[in-house]
Amino acid sequence: MTKLLDKPFKAFTIYALIILLVSIPVYFLVVDWIWVTEIDDHHEIAMDRIEGSFKEAYLSGQELETILNSWNMLQPNSSIVPLKGTIASPDSVYEVTKYNSYEQESDRFRGLQKVIQIDGQAYLLNIETNVEEAYETVFAIGFVTVVLYGLLVFGFIQLNRKISKAVWKPFDQTLSKLKSFDLSTNKEVIFEPTDIEEFEELNTTISRLIAENVSAYNQQKAFVANASHELQTPIALLKSKLDLLLQDEKLNATQSELVNAIQIPLARLTRVNKNLLLLARIENSIYSDVEEMDFSEKVGNSEELLQDYIAEKMLIFKKIGSSICHFQCSKFLAETLVNNLLSNAIRHTPHNGEIIVEWGNSGFSFQNSGKEALSQDSLFKRFSISTTETTNSGLGLAIVKEICKQNSWEVSYSFADSFHNFSIDIQKF
Amino acid sequence: MKILIIEDEKELASDILHYLSGEDYRCETASDFATAKEKVSLYQYDCILLDLMLPGGDGFEILNHLRSQNKQDGVIIISAKNTLEDKIKGLNIGADDYLAKPFHHSELAARIHSVIRRKQFDPSNLITQNEIRIDFLSRTVHIAENLIVLTKKEYDLLLFFIGNKNRVLSKSALAEHLSGDLADMFDSHDFVYAHVKNLKKKLNEQNYGGYLKTIYGTGYKWEI
Repeated sequence: MTKLLDKPFKAFTIYALIILLVSIPVYFLVVDWIWVTEIDDHHEIAMDRIEGSFKEAYLSGQELETILNSWNMLQPNSSIVPLKGTIASPDSVYEVTKYNSYEQESDRFRGLQKVIQIDGQAYLLNIETNVEEAYETVFAIGFVTVVLYGLLVFGFIQLNRKISKAVWKPFDQTLSKLKSFDLSTNKEVIFEPTDIEEFEELNTTISRLIAENVSAYNQQKAFVANASHELQTPIALLKSKLDLLLQDEKLNATQSELVNAIQIPLARLTRVNKNLLLLARIENSIYSDVEEMDFSEKVGNSEELLQDYIAEKMLIFKKIGSSICHFQCSKFLAETLVNNLLSNAIRHTPHNGEIIVEWGNSGFSFQNSGKEALSQDSLFKRFSISTTETTNSGLGLAIVKEICKQNSWEVSYSFADSFHNFSIDIQKF
Repeated sequence: MKILIIEDEKELASDILHYLSGEDYRCETASDFATAKEKVSLYQYDCILLDLMLPGGDGFEILNHLRSQNKQDGVIIISAKNTLEDKIKGLNIGADDYLAKPFHHSELAARIHSVIRRKQFDPSNLITQNEIRIDFLSRTVHIAENLIVLTKKEYDLLLFFIGNKNRVLSKSALAEHLSGDLADMFDSHDFVYAHVKNLKKKLNEQNYGGYLKTIYGTGYKWEI
């Protein structure tokens, strides 16, 4: 994933690179053209002056020859030689690469030759100037361009960072608020006001969306709580009527068995309903009577209550406490948590299986033997079906998770060496 | 013995009345706050079954009213609320027991039996059922001077049977009595057989009257 500001930044950088690359030959051509034009102009002027000077001097004979000799000897860039016969292009601009004995390298020369008349005799005047080497120019321009490009990119990065930090600050704040938002905690989200119109609009929209969701969530919660509350009386009556029916002496064996068979789904209905009410109560944070708990004591009580079920399935039950496990929790919730985890383990362990409860000062875990790993995603969700067993209310682990959430504990599931492991980390983080 | 059932759900009140009618109890009902308050003020009961949510008022007020008049009637709260706060509050104000709805009538009957026994002035803390003698303080059972050593669960079951004599008790009711409300987390309550079998065996060894009957497909009955 790329950041929003990095996208135009990348395009800008590539565009700048292309332009600068193209600029290298363009600069070179322009500079070379100016250079050559200037030299040619200079040659023309110099030539006119030389010609004019010679005309005004009225030199002739021996004197002229001496001057021309010393001219040709002392002036490195120009020469005046007598013209014998005719040449193809008497007045011409030319370019030549010659070996420069002073610099000991080949140099490019720009030259101008012209036929002038001195003392009635035709002479060929020739002026040459060393032009900067083409490859040297290209190298210099290229170097400057690369340096400038580097500066440009560096500037872009710095500006990008600065702008991104300043401009996107309200957006980042909104994002972090949204990340920490949890529908079930009932906490209101308040966004800081910003002077950027788009962000302000975003915040307003999100606030409205959250408000709608919270209200829908609360309505749903209230609905579940009310529904299960309303179901309590009919369930109580059903149970009551069945008890009375059982007392009927005219009941035959088949009918009694039917009555007993009804008790089983009724027990499940009772459990589901009770758990839904419990979940609603935990969510509403009704249990705030926090006191100091000792895990080994809680698990001992739970074991005593459930030992018949452990014995019935002939399970091996082991308790391993590496150090004392104390925690702050509502007594009722602590008992519910331990009972739920232990009865869950008993229900899902095959006959002759094993249950290991371990605890230490950082938390505790319930392990039970099993065949294959359970689905992590749906395990703690309500009514997620992980087994075909009918007694499973589908809410036991949802309650465990909710209790852990209330206490800011971390509950996790893992499967290793044919053991399911539910561990709870009670260290606040 | 007189029992007052304060319960706004008339069906449930009449079922309780029906279930308890076999015992030597005389039951009355009150289905709203005003009637209930009037009855507890005017008469004395051995045991009052009190629903907390009543039309016209809070069940706790009746309990407060009762205790402020220094009346010592036994009170069992029967409530659908089933929160620890309610339970603690109820017991602190002076209720003798708390039973969450829904419950088996057999459980209620056993609780009533226990409350009445505790309220009755009996320094010896003994109950006798024909040849069986139970001492509550030491939690021991004797048949004709012979001590019967029972496990905690067998002892609980015996009391449960005696509190529900001549009633058919389903396996799930027995399981619920032994494991509390954790029982409905499980399908199979076969362990009940084992406990009842052991209890029966121990009682038989001392030649008790053979009151504990197995009702095929249903459960058990303590027949006197």
